[in-house]
Amino acid sequence: MELKTYIESGIIESYVLGLISDVEAEEFQLMRKLYPELDTEVEVVERRIEKAAFDEAVLPPVQIKERVLQSFRWEAGGGGFAGEVPPNYTFINIQPKDNDQIMVHKYWRIFFIFIVLLAKILLFFSIFYFLKYAQIKDQRTGFNIQHHSIQHVEPHASTENIFLS
Amino acid sequence: MRRDLAHIGEQALIDRLLAGDPVAKELLYDRYAGALYGVAIQLVPVRSRADDVIVRVFTWAIQHIGSYRTSGFQTLFSWLLRKTREFAIKEAIPENTLAGTELVKNEEGVLKRFYVCLPTSEQQVFRLCYLKGLSITTIARMMGTSEGQVNEILKVAMIAFRKFLSDNWN
Repeated sequence: MELKTYIESGIIESYVLGLISDVEAEEFQLMRKLYPELDTEVEVVERRIEKAAFDEAVLPPVQIKERVLQSFRWEAGGGGFAGEVPPNYTFINIQPKDNDQIMVHKYWRIFFIFIVLLAKILLFFSIFYFLKYAQIKDQRTGFNIQHHSIQHVEPHASTENIFLS
Repeated sequence: MRRDLAHIGEQALIDRLLAGDPVAKELLYDRYAGALYGVAIQLVPVRSRADDVIVRVFTWAIQHIGSYRTSGFQTLFSWLLRKTREFAIKEAIPENTLAGTELVKNEEGVLKRFYVCLPTSEQQVFRLCYLKGLSITTIARMMGTSEGQVNEILKVAMIAFRKFLSDNWN
C-alpha cells in the first residue's frame, strides 16, 4: 500500500523527466533497491513516454542524418565513409565540444573585477600625475623665461637711470 | 542500413553499439531521431537549434553508450530523451529575442497539450521547470513563493502527468 502511494505520487514521472531533486533521487534509488518491482513501474512509465513521443515523431531534415553519421565517422577515427578508401583531405571538426570550455570558481569574478578596478585606479593616477608633472614643468619653463628676461632688462634699466641722473 | 538489423531488439542494439558496430549507430539514429526531434522542437522552437540538439545528442550517445546500463534508465529512449532536454535547455534562446519567423509551429506538441490543461500555477511551474530548466529556488523567487510551495505544485503537476500518460498511452 505504501509503495502504491509512493508510485502514485508521480515520483517516477518526475525521475524520468529529470525533475527530481538530488535528495529525492537518492531516496528513489534506495527505494528501487528495497522494492525491485519499482523497476517494472519505471519501465512502464518510460514506455508510455516513449509511445507518446513516437506518436508525435517529426522527421528531421535529411542533412541532420548526414551530420550525425559524419560525427560517428569522426568518433570511429576514419573521417570518411565506412568501407571506402579514406580520401586525401583533412576534416576540420567545427562541432562544439565540451572540452573547449573551462569552469572556474565564482570567486574568480570578484578577483577579476578587483583587478579591473585596480587597473583603472592606477591608470587614473598615472594620468593625474602626468598632467601635474606637465603643469609643473610648464610653470618652471615660464619662470625661467621670466627670469632670463628680467636679467636682460635690468642692465638696460640701469643705463636709463644713468641718463636720467 | 542492413535490413536484417532493422527489427533487432533494444538490448541487441545496445550490445552492437558497445561493440562499435557502425550499422548499429545508423540504426540508433533511424529508430529514435524522429521521436527525439519531435520533443526537441517543442523545447527549442528554433529549427536550426533543434537540429544542433539532435546532432549533439546522437554524438554524445555514441561516445557514452557504456554508461547507459548504469544510468538507472530502463529504456534507451528515456536515456536519450534526458540528454535531449539537457542539450535543448543549453540551446534555448530567451523568447523575447526571437523575431518570430524562425519559430517552428509546435502548438500541437504532447507537452503543450499536457500543460495547457493544468491550473495556471502548475502550468507555470511545469513550464519553468521542464521546458526552461530553472531550479526550484529560482522559480520560487520568480513566483514570490517558498521552495516548499513550488515543490508541492510540481508534485501535483507530476500526478496530473501520470494520469495524462496512463489515460492516453496505457
